[in-house]
Amino acid sequence: MEHHLVLRVIAKFIIPMILLFAFYVQFHGDYGPGGGFQAGVIFAAGFILHALIFGLDHTRKVLPPVVLRVTGALGLLLYLGTGLAGILLGGNYLDYNVFAADPISGQHLGILLIEMGVGITVASVMLSLFYIFAQP
Amino acid sequence: MFAAAMIAILLAMFMSLCRALLGPTLYDRLLAVNVLGTITVLFIAVFGFLTGRPEFLDIGLAYALINFIATIAVLKFFEYRDMGRATEEELDI
Repeated sequence: MEHHLVLRVIAKFIIPMILLFAFYVQFHGDYGPGGGFQAGVIFAAGFILHALIFGLDHTRKVLPPVVLRVTGALGLLLYLGTGLAGILLGGNYLDYNVFAADPISGQHLGILLIEMGVGITVASVMLSLFYIFAQP
Repeated sequence: MFAAAMIAILLAMFMSLCRALLGPTLYDRLLAVNVLGTITVLFIAVFGFLTGRPEFLDIGLAYALINFIATIAVLKFFEYRDMGRATEEELDI
C-alpha cells in the first residue's frame, strides 16, 4: 500500500479521530449511548485500519501480541478486582454502593472501573483476533 | 418534515441496495455498499431527530468511521488477496 498516497494521508488523519472517539464512547457511556464493549471495538478498529494501510508488521511493532495478552488479562483482573473489592468493603459481589460515602458517587466510580476493564479486554482480544486472521 | 426526509432516505437505500445486488462488476457492488453506509449514517441522524433523541448522532459518527474501514478492508482484500501485507516488494516474492 506504499503508493496509495491518499489512503495513507487520510489514515494518518482519521486514526487519531477514531481513537479519540473510542475514548469518548468509553467515558460518556454513563450518560449516553456507549460503554466499554463498543469503545473497545472502536479502539481496536483504529489499529486495524493502521494495519490495513501500513502493514501488519508495523502494527505488531506498535502493539506486540504479548502486550495484548497481558492487557487482556489486566482488564479482566480490573473487572474481577472491582467485584471483589465490593465484598471486601462489606457489600455483595459487584456492589458499587460501598465504594464511597455517597451511594451515587460510589456507583459512578464502580461503573467507570467496570467499563474500563471491559474496554481494555475487548480491545485487546479484538486486535489479537485480527492479528491471527491477518497473518500471511 | 423529518418524515419526508426519512421516506426519501429509505427510497435511496432501496435503490442502492438494488445496485449492490444487481451490480455487474465488483466495483459497482462495492460503491453501492459504500453509498449504503453513507445513507445509513444519514438515516441514523434523521431517525434521532424524528424521535427526539439527538444522542443518535454519536451512533452515526461511529458508523461513519467503521464504514470507512470496512470499505478499505474489502478493497484491499480483493486487490492483494491478503490483509497483512504492506509494501510492493513483499508482493514480488
